[in-house]
Amino acid sequence: MFKKILIANRGEIALRIIWACRELGIKTVAVHSEADKDSLHVRFADEDVCIGPARSRESYLNIGAVIAAAEITDAEAIHPGYGFLSESAAFAEVCKACKITFIGPKPQVLATMGEKARARETVKKAGVPILSGSDGVVADEEEALRIADRIGYPVIVKAAAGGGGRGMRIAADETELQRVFPVAREEARAAFSVPDVYIEKYLPSPRHIEFQILGDSKGNIVHLGERECSIQRKHQKLVEESPSVALTPRMRQKMADAAMVAARAVKYENAGTIEFLLQDSQFYFIEMNTRIQVEHPVTEMVTGIDLIKEQIRIAAGNPISFKQDQIIFRGHSIECRINAEDPVTFTPSPGTITSYHPPGGPGVRVDTAVHSDCRISPYYDSMVAKLITYGNNRDEAISRMRRSLEVMVIEGIKTNISLQLRIMNDPEFQKGNLSTRFMDRYIS
Amino acid sequence: MDNRELKELMEFISESKFAEFEMERDGFKLKLTKEIAFAKEHAPMAMQAMTGLQAVAAPAVQPLLNPILPAAAPSQPAPAAAGADIYQVTAPMVGTFYRAPNPNAAPFVQVGDIVKKGQVICIIEAMKLMNEIESEVAGEVMESPVSNGQPVEYGEVLYRLRLTGS
Repeated sequence: MFKKILIANRGEIALRIIWACRELGIKTVAVHSEADKDSLHVRFADEDVCIGPARSRESYLNIGAVIAAAEITDAEAIHPGYGFLSESAAFAEVCKACKITFIGPKPQVLATMGEKARARETVKKAGVPILSGSDGVVADEEEALRIADRIGYPVIVKAAAGGGGRGMRIAADETELQRVFPVAREEARAAFSVPDVYIEKYLPSPRHIEFQILGDSKGNIVHLGERECSIQRKHQKLVEESPSVALTPRMRQKMADAAMVAARAVKYENAGTIEFLLQDSQFYFIEMNTRIQVEHPVTEMVTGIDLIKEQIRIAAGNPISFKQDQIIFRGHSIECRINAEDPVTFTPSPGTITSYHPPGGPGVRVDTAVHSDCRISPYYDSMVAKLITYGNNRDEAISRMRRSLEVMVIEGIKTNISLQLRIMNDPEFQKGNLSTRFMDRYIS
Repeated sequence: MDNRELKELMEFISESKFAEFEMERDGFKLKLTKEIAFAKEHAPMAMQAMTGLQAVAAPAVQPLLNPILPAAAPSQPAPAAAGADIYQVTAPMVGTFYRAPNPNAAPFVQVGDIVKKGQVICIIEAMKLMNEIESEVAGEVMESPVSNGQPVEYGEVLYRLRLTGS
């Protein structure tokens, strides 16, 4: 087992990793930008190294700085969290070359599944259903129009090197496709350095269902059930839950099997998530996320399994610490992402939190790095906390979420707490009538 | 120690490069501290090196005498903007700090040296690569708060230079 792990991340996930390391008796190294020098993850890690100025490019995304920090602290492994370098094949390669264990899949798997068009081809070959669309990257506008003609509008143009809901443009007809195609390529180049795009059929109102999987170096693959993440705004998730009310046991098994086929196709190791869209009882693979995800807590609540500890154990060469038939799925869990933004306009609201009080009691979990007097800087994403509830059934999970949101105090900045409360009180949400169009009614 | 000896000692210390001096003899304890404030903002100085040093040191020396000795030395006025011409060279990267190009070589710079803008003053090693760190200003090396072979983080102070404006 590792003696020391460096956490190449910040905020709540960095703390989450520190908790797992403390439970495992592993020493921690926090790296941070100058803007984060007073952050909790820096305070609670055993050692800390400032790796650059506030800008992510020069700090959290700075491979050389992160590796240098691991070198001077003799860290044996690096946990990349989510975002930042967590899906960077280049970073994983550098770790390997420097004999530092990257806690995640192998560089080759990151490269294959990170190129989204290639990921589609890979799982298609393995027999996993995908949305109709291009065979790989679309060369030019003519090809785009041909493909769209074949599969039918509306279509969605996606960045091949993208992911996480970024770099996507929808086209309802030929004229619109001619307009958005070059824009999508330019956005892809600006955001991901690669202008490559691919095309998929755009479904009218699907549900977003993803499966959590774990793989180890002995070839074992297990699934830990699904999460429904249909409630999104601009492809950014707001509310996630497990299980999904939309799945019958038979559909769940079919999708879980497809997820494991996809994972086996790339000999997946460590934690990963297979994302599907479900429409009219048909499901389609859209992408694989080769990292631990923001919403991993809802899976932890319904399975009782600590995913971060499993990641660390697997990376240290151990097999997954349980078999598929030992996983017991119990109850229902919901997560609401609390963001520093205006609840109506969604404008980011950085600033100083003057007063903070989290909810508590049975079935309530808060994953956060904020506290009273802490500064929410404008340099990083706006999520300030994850509020997770668990109940014996969905109604109880909702009821606990409602009463928790009602008493959660975050003053000094604007947050979307009131928006989340509206969603919890929404009859459509309570009935489970979800789709990726759910938030349309909330956006003026 | 009589007053003349004390005065000579104080002058000697203030003209030296020592920032602090402490001495203890029977019934007598003396501590001298030069007050030099380190400011990140700096204004280039037009004064010559020697004059500048004296202007900083002389008024700043304040003898702190142990109560055993009844006589109190007159207090000196605080120097005006004594720290304005001190520049901190900070680490632009994470790694291991080395004063010399290799273990057998002489250090790039020592305290008292005058460095030119762009002159290599140290190495920070990371990922088996030796990165030469250049001084961004011209100045006299006053002190280096890091040790040879020490791990340094981004922003760590490596040297303090007194600006010479050339």
